[in-house]
Amino acid sequence: MNNSLHDPRHPWFRLVAAARTVRDDRTEGAPYGFATRVAALALAPERAVRSLFEVFALRALVIASLLAVCSIAINYNEISRRLAGGADDLLLADDDTVVAVLALAD
Amino acid sequence: MPDEADPPFDLAACLARVRRKDQQAARDLVGHLYPLVIRIVRSHLPRRVAEEDLAQEVFLKMFSRLAQYQGAVPFPHWVSRIAVTTCIDHLRAQKRRPEFRWADLSENEAEVLEAVMTNANDVAANDAMAAHELVHKLLGQLKPDDQLVIRLLDLEQKTIAEISQITGWNQSLIKVRAFRARRKLQKLFQELRRKERS
Repeated sequence: MNNSLHDPRHPWFRLVAAARTVRDDRTEGAPYGFATRVAALALAPERAVRSLFEVFALRALVIASLLAVCSIAINYNEISRRLAGGADDLLLADDDTVVAVLALAD
Repeated sequence: MPDEADPPFDLAACLARVRRKDQQAARDLVGHLYPLVIRIVRSHLPRRVAEEDLAQEVFLKMFSRLAQYQGAVPFPHWVSRIAVTTCIDHLRAQKRRPEFRWADLSENEAEVLEAVMTNANDVAANDAMAAHELVHKLLGQLKPDDQLVIRLLDLEQKTIAEISQITGWNQSLIKVRAFRARRKLQKLFQELRRKERS
């Protein structure tokens, strides 16, 4: 039997040759109303009223970013003090019972 | 009678009118391109997707991207690329390809497959429909891109250059995909032979 797909007598090519003889009798014309529907959808005017989400999403993002920047600015002194104090101080500064017990064990 | 024949479709004028949002021109354009689009859609139709829905999606993409069309390739080629990529996107979205099993074939399909694998005769004319179904089931085992290349090469007998025009892929890529697809088909036939024997 032919084992290579380079061989035109391979089963695949004989199947394909037979498949090509099948005629597609379906019509190739557009169904009634198809062109009108597609044209109407494609050329529909832009929506005049945008959704609330579209209107407010970008503004909400800007406001949230501003709030984040303001909160960093307001707490800048505390943040810089804690960073300068080192990680141990930061841990000990917290009211964490486990941290306190571990510190005592050390 | 040449006088009574329809005048040739003036694509350039129609496109200019569509760009000016002329609904009638848009309808004419859809009507003119529908046979081209539906042929592509039908030959690459993913399972469970209605051909009319897919054709509509192709046309809506065409209208939405019309401003990007610069005339570098003929307009029907540009549209056929949109149709091909839309079909491939749908095929990719399906992800899972059903396994090809002897048990899932109809009696006639199994007989035809067994015959082509055990003898060197051509498929009988009255078995052409079964062969057609088998070819589509076998192609369904390939990756969408590979499937497309083999379908165009073997079933539609397009040249590499024509496939390049239809898909927009370069010729080397098409050859690589054809090679990969043939290797997979070869493996599939070997497995089928083994299972048939067992």
